[in-house]
Amino acid sequence: MKVLEIKKLTKRFDGVFAVNDLSLEIEKGSVVGIIGPNGSGKTTLVNLLSGIVPIDKGKVTVNNSKNFTKIKPCQIYSHGITRTFQHVRLFEQMSVLDNILVVLTERNIFGSLFVKYGDHCHKYSKKILERVNLWDKKDKLVCNLSYGQRKLLEIARALATKSKIYFFDEPFAGIFPEMRKIVASIIKELKLEKKTIILIEHDMVLIRELCDYLFVLDEGKLLAHGKPDVVLKRKNVVKAYLGE
Amino acid sequence: MEYLIHLGILFAIYSILGLSLNLVVGFTGLLSISHAAFYGIGAYTTAIILTKTGLGFFTSLILGIIIVLIISFLIGLVLSKFKGDYYALGSIGFNVIVLSVLLNWQDLTAGPLGIAGVSRPEILGIDFSNKFYFLILILIFLLIFYLISLFITKSPFGKILKAIREDDGAIQIFGYNILYFKLVIFIVSAVMAAIAGSFFASFVTFIEPSSFAVSESIFILVVSILGGLASLRGSILGALFLVLLPEILRLIGFPVDIAGQMRQVIYGIILILLMLYRPQGLIGEYKI
Amino acid sequence: MDIIPQIIINSLVAGAIYALISLGFNLIYGATKFFNLAHGIVVVIGGYSILCFVKFLGLNIYLGVVISVIISGILGYCLDRFVYLPLKRKKASNMVLLVASLGIFTALQGIISIIFSSQFQSLSENSEQVVFSFFNGFITETQIIILISLVLIGLGLILLLHKTQFGREVRAINDDEEVAKIIGIHTNKIIGRVFFIGSAIAGYAGILVGYDTGLEPTMGLSLLLKGVIASIIGGVGSIYGGILGAFLLGFVENFGILKISGGWKDAIAFGLLIIFLIFRPRGIINK
Repeated sequence: MKVLEIKKLTKRFDGVFAVNDLSLEIEKGSVVGIIGPNGSGKTTLVNLLSGIVPIDKGKVTVNNSKNFTKIKPCQIYSHGITRTFQHVRLFEQMSVLDNILVVLTERNIFGSLFVKYGDHCHKYSKKILERVNLWDKKDKLVCNLSYGQRKLLEIARALATKSKIYFFDEPFAGIFPEMRKIVASIIKELKLEKKTIILIEHDMVLIRELCDYLFVLDEGKLLAHGKPDVVLKRKNVVKAYLGE
Repeated sequence: MEYLIHLGILFAIYSILGLSLNLVVGFTGLLSISHAAFYGIGAYTTAIILTKTGLGFFTSLILGIIIVLIISFLIGLVLSKFKGDYYALGSIGFNVIVLSVLLNWQDLTAGPLGIAGVSRPEILGIDFSNKFYFLILILIFLLIFYLISLFITKSPFGKILKAIREDDGAIQIFGYNILYFKLVIFIVSAVMAAIAGSFFASFVTFIEPSSFAVSESIFILVVSILGGLASLRGSILGALFLVLLPEILRLIGFPVDIAGQMRQVIYGIILILLMLYRPQGLIGEYKI
Repeated sequence: MDIIPQIIINSLVAGAIYALISLGFNLIYGATKFFNLAHGIVVVIGGYSILCFVKFLGLNIYLGVVISVIISGILGYCLDRFVYLPLKRKKASNMVLLVASLGIFTALQGIISIIFSSQFQSLSENSEQVVFSFFNGFITETQIIILISLVLIGLGLILLLHKTQFGREVRAINDDEEVAKIIGIHTNKIIGRVFFIGSAIAGYAGILVGYDTGLEPTMGLSLLLKGVIASIIGGVGSIYGGILGAFLLGFVENFGILKISGGWKDAIAFGLLIIFLIFRPRGIINK
């Protein structure tokens, strides 16, 4: 069953096509990798799909919902989508715990004012923070965390939303092996829970290990797609990464 | 003693103003340099109602709240489209526009001549011309506003405000329509400033537009930042410090005629020093 | 409709003043990317320097102008060196720099009020003003100087930016300060000079305003904001845009008060700003 369908998606920035007539489909419950050299449009694609950047041309359908193409960022949550960012975007001058609690707040004004975080919120936050080994740092300000801890916290924050579709933008970049293991195991767990994961990554070992399917982007266009073992052997894919 | 009461009333007024701005700047990260406009609208509403109609102080408060609710909704809506330093510029713009209205809509406001003869409140037979009673009344309001601010900032709503301050794009991803949140806090803050203005009008009994210019907005900003952004007690502290400052200057022996300008010089220097060395203010939680 | 020529003259003169202010402002914004609101008080200080040197100390007017312009430039340079540069080293955000510039503005305005009193003072004696008739409108000698100054300074600045090594380096910093540093440009030094030049122009604008309409310590904010409005309408950081925006502002203001009373000038100017910020935040000239 298709959970995400993109038809002829196009985005230009000042005359450069960041994403060029891109079409692809993602099956529900799969772990899909999006790879390609720098500047190939991977992050722009995720930004388009999370409403952060407006779409120039093309159509996007999520769970057969009709009006996803003109989506605004605050609406993707109700479609069951969440994401992390290539350059971590946490709430720096708030504590680790607050970064999780804040996304458990009621979404409407009255609720956020009068509905307190109950016991279940605190227990749930504890569970999530323990999963990423950050519970003992719960009162620390995010700006005082290490790079790897911040990446883990951002993933924890995404997990807290109990979304169905996850976009992870280079979650493994620049973190130690022990932390990579945690991230990898989180992704595998999400897969067992039948969630859909779209993973932007450069590390081919992890890609092979985790992904069921791959899309290769180059200069905003779809270069190749298929199962990792097959795609990664193809000459044009290797050439795109290494250059002419 | 009379003198201390006078200072106490000023302290209470500026505490309310400082609290109100702190909600918007310190907790939500919106650099608004326009609160003197709402302060002025509240003051003028009360002044006009008390001098030109038979209605009482508390009726003028309610009318002031309604007027400011509408105006701050519109201004907040327009400002919400701006980011960071553009927000500051736009807010200065609105301050200037409101000031223009106060100066030029002379049928209503008597323009630069101002409005005199504003009376003190009277309810349940208590005549608040007695300054001591007036002080108690305004301190009660200060307490109410403090508690309201405490409630707002300690609730989950308060965490959303902080998240907006830290990264308003990221918090949206999680399903929060930041426009609504920003509007609500802006309106609450504006209403508080307006009520402070109503008390000011009643207290000094004569008001004119120049008290509500951009320089006053900057002064309120100094109160908030000095005390400490995102700290409610900080705003109280900031107000205390800055109300006492002119008195300290007088005691040291500055001639009265330059006391006003000297105050301005000191505020400016305080602002520069704060930005350079202590952006979180005295007891603040947030470094701008 | 014979007041039209006069209104046109008024618009041109106002536009020229705003353009001069926005020239300096845009120059500084281009290099630093923040709103230096202290620019407004430098304008005022330029005017008051003449008051001090020419009126009180009796110096020759040309010498007075040169000294005042240099003082304004040095002031701007010092602001950068002692306040903005240290802040930038601490990775301060634009908002912090803006607030600091507000502090500078406020403090200096207070100091001027103390030294020179808050009263309105004029640099020129009215009997000295030579007035020319142009169609049905009148233009004073000072106002002609204002227009000529804009042309000369504008051209000078354009030549400086496009035909000199210094100008090339400034434009490189405008494009990307980090890259400019990497290719070996001493960005701090260049930015210091940019502050000097921009502030000198501001001071000169203040002198012209002082002779044209007079001096008051509180005039800085209004002039600054008009300069900022002109810059934003034209596209912040763009020299040409600022000039265009300044004249647009001058014309809208002066023709606007045909229908509405003069006191609403500021409101009209800000209304224009808000409209542009909403619909065309990058200004007329998109960079």
